[in-house]
Order: sequence, then C-alpha cells, then structure tokens
Amino acid sequence: MSEPAIRLTGLRKSFDAVEAVAGIDLDIADGEFFSMLGPSGSGKTTVLRMIAGFELPTAGTVTLAGRDVTRLAPFDRDVNTVFQDYALFPHMTVQQNVEYGLRVRKVARAERRERAAAALRTVRLEGYGERRPSALSGGQRQRVALARALVNRPAVLLLDEPFGALDLKLREEMQVELKAIQREVGITFVFVTHDQQEALTMSDRVAVFNQGRIEQVDTPAEVYERPGTPFVAGFVGTSNLFEGETAHAVLGREGVFSVRPEKIRLGGAPASAEEISAAGQVVEVIYAGAATRFVVDLDAGPRVVAMQQNHQTSPADVAALRGKPIRLTWRAEHVVAVPVSPR
Amino acid sequence: MTAPSTLDRLSSWLHRHSGVRLAGLLSAPLLWLFVAYLGSLAVLFVSALWTVNSFTGDLVREPTFANFRTILTEEVYRTVTLRSLGVAAAVTVIDVLIALPMAFFMAKVASPRGRRLLVIAILTPLWASYLVKAYAWRVMLANGGPVDWLFGGAGNGPGYGLTATVLVLSYLWLPYMILPIYAGLERLPDSLLEASADLGGRGGRTFRSVVLPMIVPSVIAGSIFTFSLSLGDYITVQIVGGKTQLIGNLVYANIGAANNLPFSAALATIPVLIMVIYLVAVRRSGALEEL
Amino acid sequence: MRTIRVFTALAAAGLLALTGCGDGGGATGGSGPGGIKPPKIDKLASLGAGEGQVNVVAWAGYVENGSTDPKVDWVSGFEKETGCKVNVKVAGTSDEMVTLMKTGDYDVVSASGDASLRLIYGGEVAPVNTDLVANYKDVFDGLKLKQWNSVDGVSYGIPHGRGANVLMYRTDKVTPAPTSWSAVFDANSPYKGKVTAYDSPIYIADAALYLMKHQPDLGIKNPYALDEKQFAAAVDLLKKQNEQIGEYWSDYTKEVQAFKSGNSVVGTAWQVIVNLAKADGAPVEAILPEEGATGWSDTWMISAKAKHPNCGYLWMNHIIDPEANAAVAEWFGEAPANKLSCAKTADKNHCATFHAADEAYFDKVWFWSTPVEQCLDGRTDVKCKDYSAWTQAWTTIKG
Repeated sequence: MSEPAIRLTGLRKSFDAVEAVAGIDLDIADGEFFSMLGPSGSGKTTVLRMIAGFELPTAGTVTLAGRDVTRLAPFDRDVNTVFQDYALFPHMTVQQNVEYGLRVRKVARAERRERAAAALRTVRLEGYGERRPSALSGGQRQRVALARALVNRPAVLLLDEPFGALDLKLREEMQVELKAIQREVGITFVFVTHDQQEALTMSDRVAVFNQGRIEQVDTPAEVYERPGTPFVAGFVGTSNLFEGETAHAVLGREGVFSVRPEKIRLGGAPASAEEISAAGQVVEVIYAGAATRFVVDLDAGPRVVAMQQNHQTSPADVAALRGKPIRLTWRAEHVVAVPVSPR
Repeated sequence: MTAPSTLDRLSSWLHRHSGVRLAGLLSAPLLWLFVAYLGSLAVLFVSALWTVNSFTGDLVREPTFANFRTILTEEVYRTVTLRSLGVAAAVTVIDVLIALPMAFFMAKVASPRGRRLLVIAILTPLWASYLVKAYAWRVMLANGGPVDWLFGGAGNGPGYGLTATVLVLSYLWLPYMILPIYAGLERLPDSLLEASADLGGRGGRTFRSVVLPMIVPSVIAGSIFTFSLSLGDYITVQIVGGKTQLIGNLVYANIGAANNLPFSAALATIPVLIMVIYLVAVRRSGALEEL
Repeated sequence: MRTIRVFTALAAAGLLALTGCGDGGGATGGSGPGGIKPPKIDKLASLGAGEGQVNVVAWAGYVENGSTDPKVDWVSGFEKETGCKVNVKVAGTSDEMVTLMKTGDYDVVSASGDASLRLIYGGEVAPVNTDLVANYKDVFDGLKLKQWNSVDGVSYGIPHGRGANVLMYRTDKVTPAPTSWSAVFDANSPYKGKVTAYDSPIYIADAALYLMKHQPDLGIKNPYALDEKQFAAAVDLLKKQNEQIGEYWSDYTKEVQAFKSGNSVVGTAWQVIVNLAKADGAPVEAILPEEGATGWSDTWMISAKAKHPNCGYLWMNHIIDPEANAAVAEWFGEAPANKLSCAKTADKNHCATFHAADEAYFDKVWFWSTPVEQCLDGRTDVKCKDYSAWTQAWTTIKG
C-alpha cells in the first residue's frame, strides 16, 4: 500500500495552559474525502491548521505523502486551504485572486490564464474574472475561494467550515457541488465541520472529535449506525441511550446501548425474541414537516425520543396523542451496544 | 385645567418643528466652523492682498498682488519652498519606513498585552512638550554628543542642519504615522496573511502583494499628518536646523520681527496651497476615510 | 526673553519714522527733519504723597519681588518704605508695551530704544522732571539725554541699563585670539561651520559696522542708516558669511549650549551669555573688537495719563537706586545705569565685567535703533532702507 496522503502521529497542541489537541494519530488516504466533525473547541480546526502549517504542534509529527512537514512553513507544503471567511484579497479581482498562487510560483502568464479559467469553470464562475470579491454573493465568494485553492493542484485540500456562513439552501447545493468537484479532481479533501449532517452526506470517512481527541474514525454509516462512544452516539444524530438500571429494566441487558429515534415504532405487539417493546406516556409531540418527534416517558424510567415519518398521519392526529399512554416497539437488532471507552 | 406654561408650549412647538430643533442644536458648532475656522482662513487670504505702510506701520487695505509678486519673483522664496517640500517629503518617507514594521509588529505579532503597552509607549512622547523633545535632540546632536559618538567621535555626526531637522521632525511626527497604519493593520484579517502564505507567498511577497496595497490608505492618512506638520514647522528647525530656514521661519519672522502680517499671510498661503493640492491628489485613494 | 523683545521691539518702524531722528548713535536727540514735535505735555512740577500703588509695565526680570527667587527682591522694601504697592504687568514685546500704555491704565514702563520714541511722539509718556529723581544725578553721563530717551534736550525717561553685543570665542579652539569682527566675516575662516551670528535682521547693522571700518569708501556713517549701495554691500557680506555659519542663534540658552559643546566656536554674544557659558565651564572669552559693536539701552518712562504719578516717580527713583539698580543689573546681566551701583553688586567685578563705567567702551557701541526711510545719519539726498527691507533681506541672506 502506498503512503497515506496525511499521517498524523502523536499530535498535540497547547495554547498556554489549555490543551487544544491532546494526542492524535490519524492516517488519511490519497483521494479520500475526509471529514473532521466535532463541536466547537474540540480541536478539529487546530488539527487542520497544523496540517496547513499555520500552527506548530507542541508535540508529534505531520507527514504529507511520506514527507515530514511538521516544521515547514505553509508556503513549503503541498496543501491549500479554503478559509471559513474565504480570505479573498479584497483589492484584487476574482481572476487575480485565483491566479495569486500561480503568480507566486512564477507560472507563465499564458498558463496562468488558462488554469485560472479552468478553475473558474470548475466552480461555475466563468465570466466573473474581472469582478471584485465585494461584488459577489456569499456562495460565489465561496467558490472563488475554492477555485483559488484548486488551481494550484495541491495534493491535499483543506476546508475549514467552508459553508458556515451560507444559508441552508445554498449550503445543501454547495455540499453536492463540492462532492462532485472532489470526484472530478480526485485529490484528498480534509473537511472540518461541526454539522454532522454535512459530514455524513459528503465524506468517505468521518473522524469525530471531542475535547482534543478523536472518539471514532469510520465511514458515515458506521459512525451513525455503530457509534463508538456515548459521545458519538449523542453528537452524531439523536440517540436514545440506555445504561445501568434502565438498560436492565428496558432491554434486560447490562451495559450502554443506543437506539435511534427513527427505529422506534409507535404501537405494535408485545415483546418477542425479535422485538423489544415498552409502555409509556407521550409527554410532547413535535411536528417537524416530513416527520414528527414524540417524547415519551417510559414506565421503566427513561425518557426516549421516537420519530415517525408523516406518511399517512395529519398534524392534528399526532397532536392528539399528547398525554396519552402509548406502546413503543423496536427491533432487537437496532439496539447497538456502545463501548464506554473509544475503540 | 390650567393653561400650559410658555415653556411647555415652546417644547411641544419644537417637537413639531424638527428643523428648528436641529438648527438650535447645530448652530453653535456651525458658528464655530464658519466663523472661527473658515473665517480665519478667509481673513488669511484677504490680508495676504494687503500691504503694510513702511512709514507708519499701519495696514494698507487696498488689494494688490505685490506680496505674491515678491514671493514668485524672489529666488529665495522658491528655494525655501522647495527645501520645505523636500524636508516634508523626506520626513514622510522616513516615517513610513519606520512605522510600517513597527505597526506591523504591534498589530500582528505582539500579544494583546504587549500591544497595549506598545500603544501607550508610542503615545507617551506625545504628552511631553514638543519643545522639550526638540531641545533634548539638540543636546543629542551636539558636538561630541551621543549622536556624534554613534558615528564614531566628535564632529562625525550630522551636527545641526538640514539632516538634523529631518531627523528630529521624523522623530516628532512618527506617532502620527504609526497610529493610522496600526489601525489599518488591525482591520486587516489575519486570514488574508495566512491565505497568502498558504498559496505559496513568503513574507516579502505577502507584504508587497497583500499587506501594502491594503494599508495604502492608512499610509496616506498618516502622511497627511507628517507632511502637513513638517511643512508648518518652524521651531524644530530653529533649534536643530543650524542656519536652515523653512517656510514657517519666514512666516514667523515676518510677523514677529517685521510686523508685516500681510506678507506673512501671503507666505502662509504656500503651505495651504500645497496641502490642498496634496489632499485633492489623495482624495481618490480613500485615505480621507481613514482619518 | 531678550530674544522676543529684540525681535519685535524693532518692529515699530512706523512712529519712529515720524521723528526723523537725524543724529548718529552717540548724538543727543533733536526734532526731525520733518519738523514734527512731540505733543506738549507738562512734566510733574513737584512730588506729592504716594497714591498707595503704582502700575508698572516691564520686561520679565526687571521687577522682581522675590516670587521668582526669594533672594531676588528689590520690590518689597520699596513697597514698605513708600507705601506704594507695585502691580507689575510683564510685556513680551515692544508692541505690547505700546498697546498697554495706550490704555492709560499704567503709570510707568521700561521701554526699549524704539518703543520709547513711539511713546514720546504718540503722546503716551510725559517728560520726566529729573530734579524729582534724586538718583538721576548718579546716572552715567553716557546714558543721559540720548536720542532714545530725550527730544530737544528734554528728558523723557530714566536710563535703566545697557549692554553691548560682544565677540565671544572658544579660547581652546580659536587661536590667535581675535581682535576684530574679521573673525566672523572672513570668507576663508578656519572655523567654517562653527561661526554663529544673531538671528535677527538687526544683525545687518553688525555687517554695516564692519564695513564702516573696513570699506570706508562706502561712506557708512551710521550702521542703522544704509542707502541702497551700502545696504547691498552689507547684505553681500552677510551672504558670504552664511557659508561660514553653523547656526544662527536667537535664544541665549541655545547659544550657551552651542559654545559649551563646541558646535559654535566664535560669534556675536551678550555679556550675560559669556558669563553663563563660563559658569557652565565652557572655555570662552569675549572682547569688544576694534571696530566697536552694536548694543542696547533701556529707559523707564512715565505715562502722560498716570493716575499714580507720585508713586511712579518714587519707583523710577527706586529702580536706579544704587542697591536696586545693582540687583536688577546683576539678575538680568547688564551694565547698571547708576555709577554708585557698582559698589553694591554682590559680585564686586560686575561693573568691570559689564563695562558699566567704561565710557570708552560704550563709545564704540551703536545702540539698536530702528532703520527708517529717512536716513538716521541726516542725509536727505538718499532714501535709506527701512526695517521691512532689512527683514526681507535677512530672509535672502539665510537662503
């Protein structure tokens, strides 16, 4: 197997007394779309900045394609970054912004023109070359930032919450586009986000960060279906966690278990070998367009959330359930054991 | 029900007539602007057209361009004007060269605490008297003084003269250059510097292509201060300038010694004119918005 | 303080011109060629009782009551003795003095050479009955009835003191010791860049004085009365001198420091500067060069509208009282007007140092006068350059 595009070994970073990154080991394969997911302050952005070279690690190494770059300046690393605030040069046109990296590297004028045009084509901004960034919309600026990074054909593209400032609709469009572009250019993307939905939709693999450590690295499906830790179970999507006594009372098992809300049905038969069932009372009904969320206090103790697609029901029907007793059912295979310590 | 008092009626009348209210509020500052400020400038220009009767010492209030004719035809006024311009330009250039790295360090390198201390350190000299600072420099530049010693012995330094004038003026006006540049750099997002480095730009490149173009308005704003202050100075040059004379000295000499206010006024229009040209020239750069 | 007053005192060319003073530096006053006479004002006939106070306009340092320095006080005793409380208004310029005197609120003034004549011809001051000033008899004759304090033999004031602009040099740097102003006017001076000169248009008179002796064919009779050709010669000399100049001075502390550090080694100075420089440890000496020198002289005058004339007279008598005059002369650094003062100075050499009794010394001194169009030397066939022309020329000289 060839060298990984990025290898992080024992990476640590402290700001004064605060340990932002507390020891990270990670391999990211060539051509992979890799997401770093975590709440703010979990260290994901710091890790990205150490890969880019904006921060020097307190300990550990950063290796890019087998080359130790830990102590190298940003301009000596074959990576490019798309910044959260885009960081477009306001005094340059779009064309000049995109050409900047090439100009710095003394690429001939004709080639520069050609490559910049191609990059702008890739992000669907042909004909915008002469504009200033201030004359562009947020989504367009985002694409210019992308083109400015891609035009250099880096081995790795780093994206620091690039869609943070966009509205939901634009954000979803850009997610699709970005994925398409990544497939087209075929380089490694490292994508930092706090939005689990975004991470799950686009990534080949996801690393979930918490308090300067990685809790789990896996495919989106694995991360979602088989959360490696209680934190992952709670952070990625919504989970009903059963532990200790409640696990015993409801599931009849010892340990920590997770059941996703959408796996729980309302009503159904009593418990069997394949199905688990529990009685309780509906405390709250939350209408959410495509689905409805039910908050239920189980007789056995814990409060759980169940989600129901609004196939046939009307908002009035479901609202009527509030305060009523109810039976919940889910399949035994959907009870996922959650290891207490990271794998 | 009792009738409303006159005061009540006045205040409700004022409430209905917002224009009058505004006029009432602004009249004092506007009066200041037009009478005290623009008025005095107007008087300057008008009195430049008068002359002094050398027999009685009284002002002759008959418009004539005699003063301006003298200024334009006598070579010495041209020489002094050019010298003053040269000094102002040199001081501005020196201050830009010193202020750029200092302001950059303050805004982008120093810790927030160090930044505060540096700002205070830069502002502190402004609290000391201008005269005291100029005299301190006179001692430093004296024969065998610290500056001579730096150059390797008595008499090796610049001594008093044009060089000393430029040096001391650069020192005096430096804060007026650092502060606008510092403010400009503070507004420059760090991510732009990182983006430039990320795209392969080393320090020099980043400075030339990203930092400098973005703080040009700040530099120009600072230069307006250093340039106009240098152009109007007459005290520093008296103290360390040796036999050098600048426009300010001529203005002062004509008011103080010769009792020739009209001629002083005519001389004083030279720097005013230069600054007007300068301001018009920089207007486009957006520097005026930095002030 | 000297700086400002000399600078601006000389500004008053106007009224002086009315006098058309026709006589040279040492001559007695007289009515001008225009025949203009001062307004007829009677002098005080006899001295009465003091009015309880006196309002004084004076230069800084002339009226000290101990508030500047507890040891410097020649006012408190006077107040106690005469019952006249002294209210002093310090003026910065001669113009200010004239303006203040025009208000009529003040009784006496210490006027410089030019302001004095403006005041006389403006009718602001009255002739002084010198018989009522007991100490007047002890004033040096060389200061009595001069062009700047009298008209047609009528005294308008009581002389206060005088001083000359001397040639100062560093004894360790300037050898042999100079005897002539050539030391500062020589075009091939070995002290190039270390020569200093007084920064005022009136310094043109110093050049004229030099030319008076060294180029007699120019016919200069009075350094303050220069016709076109004479003036051009003086300006030309100063332009050549400019190449030798290190700096011009107008502030005496600046001059002291420049001589001490060696930035200046030779140039014009006042006696007080010489003393300060010596006290500061600078190896300097000063001489009155063979050509003579320029200088200044001040006069106490009484307002024509004085509300407290008796106290005013008492003050004028007091300020030239041997003791008070000695104190003020020492504090300010000039030659006292009263010959008995010399015995009263703290520094017994003061009078010798400042050449107080040395009439031969002051014979060589041309006291500052304001140049006017009517030549001060009495010539009527030519027009002389007035002070505004001097000022413009001074600008050209400095380049």
